[in-house]
Amino acid sequence: MIHSPLPQTDYMASGHVGCPGCGATVAMKFALRALGEKTMLVIPACCWAIIAGSHPQTSLKVPVLHTAFATAGAAASGLRAALDMRGDTETTVVAWAGDGGTFDIGFQALSGAVERNEDFIYVCYDNEAYMNTGVQRSSSTPFGTRTTTTPGTNWKHTRKKNIVEAFAAHRIPYAATASIAYPEDMIRKFQRARELKGGSRFLHVYATCPTGWRVPSDQCIKIARLAVKTRAFPLYEVTDGVRYTLNHDAEPPLPVRDYLSVQGRFKHLTDDDYGEIQAMVDEDWELLKRKVALAPEEARA
Amino acid sequence: MRISRSNVSTEINKTGSWRFVRPGYDEKTAPCSNACPVGQDIARIEMLMGQGMFPAAWETILRENPFPAVCGRVCFHPCERVCNRGEMDSAVGIHHLERFVGDLAIERAYALPHPFYGDEAETDRRATGGKTVAIGGAGPAGLAAAYFLARLGHTCDIYEADSEPGGVLRWGIPWYRLPEDVLKAEISRIVDMGVKIYCQKPITRDFMARAREQYDAVFLGCGYGRSLPLWIPGEEKVLNGLAYLHDIRGGDNTCTGGRAAVIGGGNTAIDVARSLTRLGVEPILVYRRRRQDMPAFDHEVEMALAEGVQLMPLVAPVRIDGGDGGMVLTLQRMRTTRMETAGGRCRVEPDGDRTETLMVDQVYSAIGAEPGENWLFPPEHQPGQLRMSHCILWEHPDARLPVVFGGDLTTPVKSVTDAVASGKQAAMALDTRFRHGGKAIPERLGACRVGDGTALSMEIYLSGRRKTRNPAIVPFSALNTDYFAPAERQAPPVLSPETRCGSFEEVEGAYGRDAAVQEASRCFNCGICNDCDNCRLFCPEVAIYIDGTRCINLDYCKGCGICVVECPRNAMTLEEEAS
Amino acid sequence: MKEVVEGSHAVSEAVRLARVQVMSAYPITPQTHIVEALSEYCADGRMAARFICVESEHSAMAAVIGAASGGVRTFTATSSHGLALMHELLHWASAARLPIVMAEVNRALGPGWNIWMDQTDSLAQRDTGWIQLYCEDGQEVLDTTLLAFRLAESASLPVMVVLDAFFLSHTYEPVDIPDQASVDRFLPAFQPRIQLDTQDPFALSQMAPPGCYMEMRHDIEAGMRRIPEHYTAAEEAFASVFGRRYGMLEAYRCEDADIILAMAGTAVSTSRQVVDDLRERGEKVGVLKLRMFRPFPAALLASLAGDARKIAVLDRNFCFGVGGIFAQEIRAALYLMDSRPPVYSYIAGLGGRDVTPETIEEIYVRTKQSERPAPESVWIGLDPAACPVCRTD
Ligand SMILES: Cc1ncc(C[n+]2csc(CCOP(=O)(O)OP(=O)(O)O)c2C)c(N)n1
Ligand code: SF4
Ligand SMILES: [Mg+2]
Repeated sequence: MIHSPLPQTDYMASGHVGCPGCGATVAMKFALRALGEKTMLVIPACCWAIIAGSHPQTSLKVPVLHTAFATAGAAASGLRAALDMRGDTETTVVAWAGDGGTFDIGFQALSGAVERNEDFIYVCYDNEAYMNTGVQRSSSTPFGTRTTTTPGTNWKHTRKKNIVEAFAAHRIPYAATASIAYPEDMIRKFQRARELKGGSRFLHVYATCPTGWRVPSDQCIKIARLAVKTRAFPLYEVTDGVRYTLNHDAEPPLPVRDYLSVQGRFKHLTDDDYGEIQAMVDEDWELLKRKVALAPEEARA
Repeated sequence: MRISRSNVSTEINKTGSWRFVRPGYDEKTAPCSNACPVGQDIARIEMLMGQGMFPAAWETILRENPFPAVCGRVCFHPCERVCNRGEMDSAVGIHHLERFVGDLAIERAYALPHPFYGDEAETDRRATGGKTVAIGGAGPAGLAAAYFLARLGHTCDIYEADSEPGGVLRWGIPWYRLPEDVLKAEISRIVDMGVKIYCQKPITRDFMARAREQYDAVFLGCGYGRSLPLWIPGEEKVLNGLAYLHDIRGGDNTCTGGRAAVIGGGNTAIDVARSLTRLGVEPILVYRRRRQDMPAFDHEVEMALAEGVQLMPLVAPVRIDGGDGGMVLTLQRMRTTRMETAGGRCRVEPDGDRTETLMVDQVYSAIGAEPGENWLFPPEHQPGQLRMSHCILWEHPDARLPVVFGGDLTTPVKSVTDAVASGKQAAMALDTRFRHGGKAIPERLGACRVGDGTALSMEIYLSGRRKTRNPAIVPFSALNTDYFAPAERQAPPVLSPETRCGSFEEVEGAYGRDAAVQEASRCFNCGICNDCDNCRLFCPEVAIYIDGTRCINLDYCKGCGICVVECPRNAMTLEEEAS
Repeated sequence: MKEVVEGSHAVSEAVRLARVQVMSAYPITPQTHIVEALSEYCADGRMAARFICVESEHSAMAAVIGAASGGVRTFTATSSHGLALMHELLHWASAARLPIVMAEVNRALGPGWNIWMDQTDSLAQRDTGWIQLYCEDGQEVLDTTLLAFRLAESASLPVMVVLDAFFLSHTYEPVDIPDQASVDRFLPAFQPRIQLDTQDPFALSQMAPPGCYMEMRHDIEAGMRRIPEHYTAAEEAFASVFGRRYGMLEAYRCEDADIILAMAGTAVSTSRQVVDDLRERGEKVGVLKLRMFRPFPAALLASLAGDARKIAVLDRNFCFGVGGIFAQEIRAALYLMDSRPPVYSYIAGLGGRDVTPETIEEIYVRTKQSERPAPESVWIGLDPAACPVCRTD
């Protein structure tokens, strides 16, 4: 019946209150399939703080520690320390935060934790804005996006922060991007992250937000795939901050316009804007390719 | 302590109430199946082949067609012309795959599946009330009729005029396209089912008059045994192409070397020409239209040209002169007009009085054929007739029993597979007639249509799983092609033209096992679930579960539609929720 | 064993003896000596604990919240700006009912930068649901810290042990440092009431909708109301092992006092001296040492000071637009009592300025001479010529 090599047990329950077609939910589903039951989640303020259920319910079948917005990195450090002190080295501590909680308000705590090389997996599910509070821009919001705080002609005129590079610069043992449209790749990365105990691991997971991006809910995965195929969101891994592996060549790439033009949040862009964004995408891709070429990771089995 | 500590599952929230569209599993019809004269479930067959489940794939073919090894070779595979994969790179090699699994079944002596529609109760029901049917002609139509009738619980006797069964398969198609042992193996399977074949015993008018005594019905699929005349002076010097092919397959070579003209542009003409090259004759194809108008399969024409056959297009024979020492064929030059035939070929007209002559040693005619005897033709519009797409059922007033005309006599396209389709249609019509009366036929057979075409499915007739298949045809645009990477079509080995000319050895080889799996994996499996599990994998609500088959828990499904969009093959549909 | 240690190290010693398992802190003067010592204990193996060197106080509190949720004994220390930065998480810790203990060194908030003694930082956190205990000397700091763990763990509420910047944190005094066995007798190994567990998964601290939020808050208050009971029991146990007890409030020579001076921290020691002097001169005066601020022991206050004719409160803190914070609290506490002596509010010793015997005597004299309290707090020792550059407009 199932020919899939993927793990099959779900640790996420039905009945949660995620919007229809929520990519962040799909991300959690995959992540927990990969991580299994010996997992503790630390969730700061974000959509997932709501999706996880309100008292007395929980939509997750693993323990969850909810924590303040800025604190995922720190709270996860504390929880890890507690488990270590109790002699539990088996359980994986996973911080699970949105882009706001990672790129912005939680950046400091996370930077500190990564610099200390805390033994946990930090997952940023990236829906490219503060969705829980009603689609305000974050520093993950891409150039060209309209949000409720970058409305009209004031659409965001600065680039998205490159978060993986930021943590690569910390020489984090493992950092990777992943996409809900590539479950095998994503699950493999979560499993790899789980195996790489003893240090910080950062996973940047692309998670479509149909509500905030103004796209039909059924396009959730399609758009995520387009992001990869247009190289707007490349899939790659970095070990020790220097060895880069590209997981998906996106060859030949689709024009980034194919990705942008299907989303309401980019509807206002002109040909010139598309051109400008394409140039940014190309530039980022070239940089990435150069890094891959510089110190390629030894081929894995 | 009252703190926010929670372990009650959110499953108590029935988020299904949010939904205003509802997803559902809705298997649809692949365009190939729709184009296949016998409506084979190609999408499923290739799915099984791709998984290496060859016996199951073979059984799936056998539900609709008793001749995979034969049809894999000789069918003109209209399926491939409409294959959705063609819009991406190139069509799936459906006929190569069919042949591969057909050959494998022969090699491994696969047993016929039992019950072959997968329903024990149906088998039991059919064990009683079987009728006896006489079948005229052991060609593809007659053999298929016998096969399906036998599978439906009836007893069949086939009466064949020739010395061996097979009809056109045995006598009309050269060895290099259809080796004899392949044909024999597929026929013997039918014989093993209990069908009796009486050779050199044609059905006669006398037989028809007394048929009632022994039989409950008669099927006539006697085929086109007689070539059409050319109606030109010197016609008597012309050799009959069909008869020539028959002779070769009978072991006689009536040919004397030199140069030969072959008149016609169909497959028989090509077969004759290609056979001639193998016997050291230099054939020239004489055809009145252009090459692209030739009814012969393009592939066959190409093979012929590669083997050295010459083509003279846009010429029509007007007379034949001369005697034994050589003949002069006078040809009228033709030119194209803007008009087209119903079949889309361009109409031609004489190009003034321009003629030319061709010196040859023999002339063969292969411009078409007709039934050997007139009474084998179904009479025009008699009362008590039911005209179906591939056959005609007539409550014969003299014989006083139902008679079905099938095969080339009645099929819309004169092809082996259409002949098989007519045999199947006849079997279904007679079975319905026996069990529910003649009036029930249109509706019952109508319910067995595959897609929107004429093909009928025996699996549907027997309430098999395919019955739930939506006849809607999957267009390319409905597929999620993100899941399909371009992949080159596997090519089977082919003998070089030089080797080919020297013998009647089969020209086209078969796929190896790996190539077959690879090629089958190229199939999109349009419209059917191949257990890819995408729906269950991506559902954000964990609302899809497996309980024997995949099910959607509508208590939780919010109707996001992801499952439907991520189904690569359009086997799901989103419908508006009845409020 | 008596050792001469500074107040900061009295804290560190207590934390070591309490067998804390996870600590996290961020340095800020004058708290630094506490965490430096603890780091050393972890490094040299005197403590089997993990010290998480976070990048901010916000993270320090978050980390101990995480650790406490994981079921271990936790500690942190901070001061002033650090405490203010923690504010969000102070609420989080108490509402999550985590028995975290924190040493808080009273220091002024900027601007202008001021690292010296001031109580406004801790008092500004009065609504966060933390138990607050103020200390007078090194011994009390050590004892209170040990007591704090027992109290926090029995009440499932966090405890802040407060000590004066420099006057206490950096002042060397002889302190009796108990042996580990005695401490273990008083404070057994930590038995968490809340502990995340993969065998029994649940979610902690998630969204609480209106239908249950109020009940949760009421439950915290019910817990607070039981603190005197827990506290007394803890002190009883402490006294039985160590022979010392402090009470929630301490009345010094208050029995027949007409005027009671009330305050917290090291100024109490100075006041004891002044009271002794004044008594010698025949003045009927006493000192009320404010030790427990949260929950505020109103009933005990009434019974200890209700009979005085006047209460004079020395606040080394200020709530702008209202006045001294301890004074407000005392006034509010007495409001429902049968006997309600007038409360005189004095502000002195902000931002590290000395509170000398003269300051205290001035407060006494002013109180004695005033018919009734001034409507606003009286600032003692203001010097108009304090700075030659800044002017008042
Ligand atoms: C200190 C603090 N500031 C602001 C908020 C309000 N807030 C809650 S969630 C959120 C946005 C979260 O954005 P992100 O991390 O991207 O997650 P998302 O909601 O998009 O999933 C904000 C601003 C808060 N909870 N805490
Ligand atoms: S993916 Fe799940 S929630 Fe969405 S339509 Fe399909 S079954 Fe419903
Ligand atoms: Mg976000």
